[in-house]
Amino acid sequence: MDSWYPRMAKPWDSWGMLACLCTVLWHLPAVPALNRTGDLGPGPSIQKTYDLTRYLEHQLRSLAGTYLNYLGPPFNEPDFNPPRLGAETLPRATVDLEVWRSLNDKLRLTQNYEAYSHLLCYLRGLNRQAATAELRRSLAHFCTSLQGLLGSIAGVMAALGYPLPQPLPGTEPTWTPGPAHSDFLQKMDDFWLLKELQTWLWRSAKDFNRLKKKMQPPAAAVTLHLGAHGF
Amino acid sequence: MPAGRRGPAAQSARRPPPLLPLLLLCVLGAPRAGSGAHTAVISPQDPTLLIGSSLQATCSVHGDPPGATAEGLYWTLNGRRLPPELSRVLNTSTLALALANLNGSRQQSGDNLVCHARDGSILAGSCLYVGRVTNHAGISQHGAETVLSALLPLQVPPEKPFNISCWSKNMKDLTCRWTPGAHGETFLHTNYSLKYKLRWYGQDNTCEEYHTVGPHSCHIPKDLALFTPYEIWVEATNRLGSARSDVLTLDILDVVTTDPPPDVHVSRVGGLEDQLSVRWVSPPALKDFLFQAKYQIRYRVEDSVDWKVVDDVSNQTSCRLAGLKPGTVYFVQVRCNPFGIYGSKKAGIWSEWSHPTAASTPRSAPCSVCLSLRLILPVLASLLPSPHSTRTWLRPQESGSWRRCGGGAPSFPRPPHLPRGAAGPGAQLGCCSGPQGGPGP
Repeated sequence: MDSWYPRMAKPWDSWGMLACLCTVLWHLPAVPALNRTGDLGPGPSIQKTYDLTRYLEHQLRSLAGTYLNYLGPPFNEPDFNPPRLGAETLPRATVDLEVWRSLNDKLRLTQNYEAYSHLLCYLRGLNRQAATAELRRSLAHFCTSLQGLLGSIAGVMAALGYPLPQPLPGTEPTWTPGPAHSDFLQKMDDFWLLKELQTWLWRSAKDFNRLKKKMQPPAAAVTLHLGAHGF
Repeated sequence: MPAGRRGPAAQSARRPPPLLPLLLLCVLGAPRAGSGAHTAVISPQDPTLLIGSSLQATCSVHGDPPGATAEGLYWTLNGRRLPPELSRVLNTSTLALALANLNGSRQQSGDNLVCHARDGSILAGSCLYVGRVTNHAGISQHGAETVLSALLPLQVPPEKPFNISCWSKNMKDLTCRWTPGAHGETFLHTNYSLKYKLRWYGQDNTCEEYHTVGPHSCHIPKDLALFTPYEIWVEATNRLGSARSDVLTLDILDVVTTDPPPDVHVSRVGGLEDQLSVRWVSPPALKDFLFQAKYQIRYRVEDSVDWKVVDDVSNQTSCRLAGLKPGTVYFVQVRCNPFGIYGSKKAGIWSEWSHPTAASTPRSAPCSVCLSLRLILPVLASLLPSPHSTRTWLRPQESGSWRRCGGGAPSFPRPPHLPRGAAGPGAQLGCCSGPQGGPGP
């Protein structure tokens, strides 16, 4: 990405100008229509969503620290990696790079929205089980912030004209440990929930950063658009 | 320290790694833990144990590929590998463990006992809850019962709530309070639900507004029936089970309370140094129902905590307090009991005390002339005819000198001389009341 910047550092020389113009004209259809109307567009709400993911990431660090200490070693050890037995229903953030890059805006936003809806539901289940008042308070606070993130994503989708994903009947996540679900298995599920939440927040920051750059005004979009290709 | 195989998401939590290499790792298919691996079963699963006791545990491996043996398996407890001499191989697929003299659990969620494969991956785990015995005799409702409770909280089903008490404010609503079972809320999170139904009508209802007067309370705001008893109980539920309190049967009319009397005024009675006049208004909320009100007045000196109570103030809205100290600030409160609703002979529940009203008794300057005048004047006045016909004489103050309700000159016959100290400091003083209860409002 950095290699592109020196090239465009002098746009005023004639070849540079031509290259600029060609690129702008070529990529114009890809720029979202909203920017052309001259209003602020979804830019501020995308920025806000990005900021929220960073804030949540920070909040999760301390929540996870507390919760994993509550679970006890080895759960709070940095390289702990238990088998993912029961956590198959968790939405997975990790994805093929090419697939991720080629996601269109609607799909990118939908995946984020659906993931956090599921994760919020599981987190609320965790809160119901939590044994200390202090943990319940921290979890409740985090759930509220996560709810705010969901709202923010919904706002971006609405601004861009995308419909909110509706949960299909019967596919709603339920937090019902089976009768044979042991306390230890529950601890592993809790661990993976927090891990997946962390991974999703890392990924979302990148998702929204990408969206933010796409929504920039056209003049700057040239530089960044080319930049995005190199990413 | 044994660790699971590194997977893509298991990087350190301190700094998010760049996405590109992270995703590439996924693409290249980094080894994932648990894929097609063996699993095992630990017995006992999540046991509860006493401090100082021993534990015999087994880890039995089963898996499709051959080679699912107990060879190479090992135990860790709270992340620490246990010495090999504590383990032994029972048979080809089972590893046993013997622990003695257990310490109390390290964390509230239980100690983590884990069975690992040779390569360090986790096969199974069990949470150990190690605690001490607590004797709940005399505390628990169930009498002398020895209950195991962990040094750190133990996970048990809830104990049944008890001591439910309810009251209705002006017959419009019902508020109930209860006491949780012995373990209370310090263990698993317990949800309480207050249920009620009319006797002889089948449908159970659940109260919705909780924590109105403390953590274990609920308020039913409407749709309450009179003249038929209610059956009320509390259900406590947690992750491991539930418990139900005994059923309380009550009639709304028997537990009625009301607001404290509004507009309590306390004022001096002319220049009388030992009296204050209290006036109030009967609570308006119950004026449509046939009831008599009983009142109670209490008062105290400003810097004291001992209240003196005037009881049996029936159905009047004023009272004169006497026998007070001169030149002292008093705080006065009044409360009301709706008595005999719809003609019943039963008392209701006392309301809250009204807001304290303060007033001070007058103090006249000490003066020997005054003192003698105070002694002489009544004698002189007694020789004169007086229009007052009703007068109530009160027991004297500690000082021994006379004070009289009504404030006029005494008439014949002269009151007998009562000994000093007849009104001791602890005596309950009645209201000065003539037929109309003294000078009216």
